[in-house]
Amino acid sequence: MDFSRRTLLGQMARLTAGAALVPLSSLANAGINDQPPRREGDGSKRYAMLIDLRQCIGCQACTVSCHIENEAPLGSFRTIVSQYEVANEATGDIATMMLPRLCNHCEAPPCVPVCPVQATYQREDGIVVVDNEACVGCAYCVQACPYDARFINEHTQTADKCTFCAHRLDVGLLPACVESCVGGARIIGDIRDPDSQISRLLAEHHDDLMVLKPEQGTSPHVFYLGMDERFVTRPLANPAIWDVRDNDGKEIGYEFAGH
Amino acid sequence: MNLLATEILTPRYALAWYPWAVQYFFLIAISYSALMLSLPGLMFRRERFMPLARLALLVAVSCTLVGPVALLADLHQPARFWHFYASAAPWSWMSIGAVLLPPYVVLTILYGYFAWRPALMARGAEGQGWDAKLARLLCLGNWQAPRLTVVVFGLLAALFACGIMLYTGAEIAILASRPLWNTHWLPVMFVFTGLIAASGLVMLLNRLMVGANADVYRQGLKVILVAILGAALVAAIWFVQGITGYSPSVQAALESVRHNPDWTTIAIWALSAGILLLLVAVAMLRTPKWQRWAWLLGLLAIHMGWAFRWLVLMEVQTVAKNTAGYYHLAVAAGSYGLLGIIGTFGLWLAVLLIIDILVPWRDVNNASAATY
Repeated sequence: MDFSRRTLLGQMARLTAGAALVPLSSLANAGINDQPPRREGDGSKRYAMLIDLRQCIGCQACTVSCHIENEAPLGSFRTIVSQYEVANEATGDIATMMLPRLCNHCEAPPCVPVCPVQATYQREDGIVVVDNEACVGCAYCVQACPYDARFINEHTQTADKCTFCAHRLDVGLLPACVESCVGGARIIGDIRDPDSQISRLLAEHHDDLMVLKPEQGTSPHVFYLGMDERFVTRPLANPAIWDVRDNDGKEIGYEFAGH
Repeated sequence: MNLLATEILTPRYALAWYPWAVQYFFLIAISYSALMLSLPGLMFRRERFMPLARLALLVAVSCTLVGPVALLADLHQPARFWHFYASAAPWSWMSIGAVLLPPYVVLTILYGYFAWRPALMARGAEGQGWDAKLARLLCLGNWQAPRLTVVVFGLLAALFACGIMLYTGAEIAILASRPLWNTHWLPVMFVFTGLIAASGLVMLLNRLMVGANADVYRQGLKVILVAILGAALVAAIWFVQGITGYSPSVQAALESVRHNPDWTTIAIWALSAGILLLLVAVAMLRTPKWQRWAWLLGLLAIHMGWAFRWLVLMEVQTVAKNTAGYYHLAVAAGSYGLLGIIGTFGLWLAVLLIIDILVPWRDVNNASAATY
């Protein structure tokens, strides 16, 4: 990708991050592939997360605590910190880029209207959840998510994803990843409350915020601060970690194989 | 490729759709295409198209019966299939498909039943053998069904077949998350490749199950010729939309696989197979004495229809959405992989043979002999 396109995407990311703060009007009376009505949750709130990448050290405490809290099968993640080694084009200096990934709880989540059995839905407070008693495991939502935030849980054989730890939020606790973040990089809160910490931070850093894949038109509600715009879309990086092959080019394996 | 960044930690995302999906899309496309091929003979009573219609009906009914089994198997919770009806979601293409599919299956079976029934009655009148007894049983009584039944059920089945064409294509094409799927041309391409595969299968069975009827070969070759030309046109438009940037989504699709040698191989393979199919079909239509080998071309046509679905549904899933690089597509040996693929074809073969034993499908509407 050439530089000018990268810059354009970066600017789009900023603009879209701003636009997402304007609450969308209700998208009821759905046509095919339109958003169905939201249900459950507190409609006076709109949860969102700000991730301050300047504070993230890639310790994966969020990954581990999420795993313990939500009991995802080994090898599947509701949140994880992707890590990249980036060389400075001019000096050749190496830096590490951390990119915590989780469900973006989009304002227009493409995973929701595709669900054929209404098992996945968006709550009034913006949180996208799955009713795994209703889910038929068709994996259509897994395909529809542009962020790889969903997976089929091999234990329940249903779709699984980050819920912002809705079960904890509902009783006044912080999500496991926020609670365990050593750098305080993850800030969650109600963006409809102008006095909340997240509202103040979003206002303060308004011009520097970015969201992932703004061109998808999903209006994500996980905002990144201190983001390198080259990572907003699928990064043009060399794959490394699971590309472990022997001398014959055959893949040797994967850390979680056999568990 | 930007060589300055290296991914050092990322999870591997498993493929969420299994080869079962390929089997369903393949069988249901053959089903609706074969149904269409049966219409000129059975609905409009064009005598020249009767041999084609007989085979096409057999193919349509057998594939219609097996396709939904593969679809059910692709669910991770198949026993919950009733949720599709208990909590339908009219805004979801898949939910719309769940509503369209059962009537389509039932109508196609009824269309086949009423087309086969006069021949069943004829067999039932032939004496006291087990096949005659069975035929009488299948006739459900000694009554004459009006010819209108074939016309009405055929028409309704064809109508629902259009719905199946639309929904199977649209449910994939609307997924903006995967640019390789996200094109209006995908449903059209599914139909063209479906017609190619269905004609191929009809020509193959023409060789294996009946006496290599020359009309069937010629008509099948013509359908393949038209469909491959249509597919080539669609592929060309899609490609041009991408390289000119007219469609940002197609542009992203081409970009996502541009540097991958596996995808280059796939593109060369698809192009070669398409050109070969086109040239051989043209040559056979121009030189009728070569047409007795048309069943061989049928094998290539079936391969094209299946491989296109494998490419679209499985290979596209290996293109990572967020991480760098590509996933390795390892087809498991068990029911999620190879066994599922072979098993579906085995089931189809079993259904085909059972129909062949129970139903005198070769005698369908044998000109004046048929009474409705």
